[in-house]
Amino acid sequence: MKRKRVLIRVAAGLCFAAALAYTVVADSTSATASLTSGKAQLMSAGALAFGPDGVLFVGDSVGGAVVALDTKDSAAPRSAVNINVQGVDAKLAALAGVTADQIMVNDVKVNPISKNVYLSASRGRGPDAMPLIARVNASGDVSLLSLDNIPHSSVSLTDAPAASPAGTNPRQNQRMSTITDMNYVNGNVMVAGLSNEEWSSALRSIPFPFKTASLGATLQIWHSSHGRYETQSPVRTFVPYTIQGQQYVLAAYTCTPLVKIPVSDLKPGAKVKGVTIADLGAGNQPLDMVPYKKNGHDFILVANTSFGVVKLKADNLETYKPIDSPTVTDVAGVPYDSISSVKNVQHLAQLDNTSAVVLTGKGPVNIQTIALP
Amino acid sequence: MRRVTLTAIAVLPLIRMTVIAEPVSIQLEGGAFRVAGWNPPRAEPSKGWPSVFAVYVGSGDVPPLSGSYAVEKGALVFHPRFPFAPGVQYRAVFHPPGAAAPVQKIFDGPPREVSPAARVEQVYPSADVLPSNQLRLYIVFSGPMSRGEAGTRIHVRDDKGKALVGVFLPGEELWDPGFRRLTMTFDPGRIKRGLVSNESIGPPIVEGMHYTLEIDGDWPDARGVRMVEGFRKAYRGGPAQRNPPDPAQWKVTAPKAGTSAAVAVDFPTPMNYALLQRMIEVSGPGGKVAGSVAIGKQESEWLLTPQSPWRAGDYKLIVDTGLEDLAGNRIGQPFDVDVFDRVTQRITTRTVSLPFAVR
Repeated sequence: MKRKRVLIRVAAGLCFAAALAYTVVADSTSATASLTSGKAQLMSAGALAFGPDGVLFVGDSVGGAVVALDTKDSAAPRSAVNINVQGVDAKLAALAGVTADQIMVNDVKVNPISKNVYLSASRGRGPDAMPLIARVNASGDVSLLSLDNIPHSSVSLTDAPAASPAGTNPRQNQRMSTITDMNYVNGNVMVAGLSNEEWSSALRSIPFPFKTASLGATLQIWHSSHGRYETQSPVRTFVPYTIQGQQYVLAAYTCTPLVKIPVSDLKPGAKVKGVTIADLGAGNQPLDMVPYKKNGHDFILVANTSFGVVKLKADNLETYKPIDSPTVTDVAGVPYDSISSVKNVQHLAQLDNTSAVVLTGKGPVNIQTIALP
Repeated sequence: MRRVTLTAIAVLPLIRMTVIAEPVSIQLEGGAFRVAGWNPPRAEPSKGWPSVFAVYVGSGDVPPLSGSYAVEKGALVFHPRFPFAPGVQYRAVFHPPGAAAPVQKIFDGPPREVSPAARVEQVYPSADVLPSNQLRLYIVFSGPMSRGEAGTRIHVRDDKGKALVGVFLPGEELWDPGFRRLTMTFDPGRIKRGLVSNESIGPPIVEGMHYTLEIDGDWPDARGVRMVEGFRKAYRGGPAQRNPPDPAQWKVTAPKAGTSAAVAVDFPTPMNYALLQRMIEVSGPGGKVAGSVAIGKQESEWLLTPQSPWRAGDYKLIVDTGLEDLAGNRIGQPFDVDVFDRVTQRITTRTVSLPFAVR
């Protein structure tokens, strides 16, 4: 994580300030100064991202908002963190007063300062499900964050409809955008989402501290293949990454390719084409990605819906030519190894330079630290 | 909705109280647990109120229920943070300071509902033929459902009954806010021309082939109760739909002035059911025309019935260019743009208009 912070600082100097004219670079005051205490109105808790000073961003798809919470969790751990909690779903259920089958964990992230693990979850599986934000400390204790009186702020993602409904059909309000992933990158919360109606979607960059007047900049993400076909491509998951001093985001599209996009291309209203560096093949979606360095080499650990955990060899990523035609095999691009030692991974999050946290199983659900392979 | 639920649970009786020790008792009043017959100290114990009194779900070694404590009318009261859930057993345990035996009471939450009520009302596209690059499927249920089930409850079988794998994007359920309409996305990697999956496996739907969509009746609704019955629908694969919708080819049937008949728009090919609901409107001499929208002819027809009779004059359909057909082609923009194809027209406006007159 220290490496990532350094990289981001480098990027701030080299790329962001020049390229993202709309970026508000975080000033030296505490990120929590803009938050106000009170009840945080969360209607759902989905994608998570950590910002500076222990600020946790929560994607609220049902409420159409991103909510920033001050976790007040900014003490560094006294020793190496090694978490192993079996049946974390049952513990969450006990705290929330339901049976374990009514708990759905939606995302997992690690507080980069305290190394405590944060989970977003739903209490219930239907429209009346209630949001939960939970913390797992180094001792494996699971607790729920109280949202009744917490420093927070939020920004609405609700767009004005392009064409308001003509009629009065009661079934016209069924549109919902699901926030699939978020990352805090140099003063901005970047938000990827999917609509349950239109295919087109936007990657949004929202300056933090939030300003109610600004929804942030949006841009279209496209994907090309054969150098011939171009498709608007929703981003499923993404992670900040630096290649030779240049800031990129590595993004996984819903149509399977893993692409790199220079952050300098991410300008408001832009139509951005990602360069495909790997195509993992059919019937699979990347869930989470963790970039890391080990023994002088760069790797990206990717958890997938169907292919399990794979370790991409990411040395010299800049030298890979973009994949512009399919190969006869099912996978193409950056070479990778399958990591068979962890199975049924639902979520993957970086803990530090040498370890990650995985949430495995669909019931019972376990959470544990693993060494980065 | 949530307020309604809370209210309902507050008045539901909780039954079967088993007293394990006396004379101090634990009571449930207004959704809060009260320790009766014990005078709590003014200050919270050094180890916190939970060290004295806590409520647990079930009988295992689990953390206590989340909530808050208060001393009210001389009694220690625990207010659970969450409403009581159906079918859950709550175990309240009080440790009288200085006493060896705890006082424990067990409360049952409201009973689970068991009567099936939900069924599949409709699946869109409603036509029997799907283009081989069909992008999305809408499944409409009669009541709210449970999420996290689609991967195991929805099947697509070939004409021999074999379940096909990799048809839909894995791990993705997109629900409407009421959890009554589920959007499933066909694997776009298999649809998009030029990708590995498309080239090596082919599209999920093949022209000329026959398929059956099956939805298990075991799918639990939002209450956890299975559906009344399962659902089956037969489809045949049709040719890919590559050309974007062109409003110039739509047929508008204008109503007569003074009537409340619907204005009808007929499309040459079916359109995206969900987007039709909100991406077309009518504007006329009096501004935007209010009325009710209906979708007909297997999503090949859009109708607007006005609230008030039509006035004579010039009207126009205003169409959002985000309107998609079954394959995700938008107005003026194919799903996968062939950049070598010079006839491809890029429309950059957000809406297009189609005039019609009411006489």
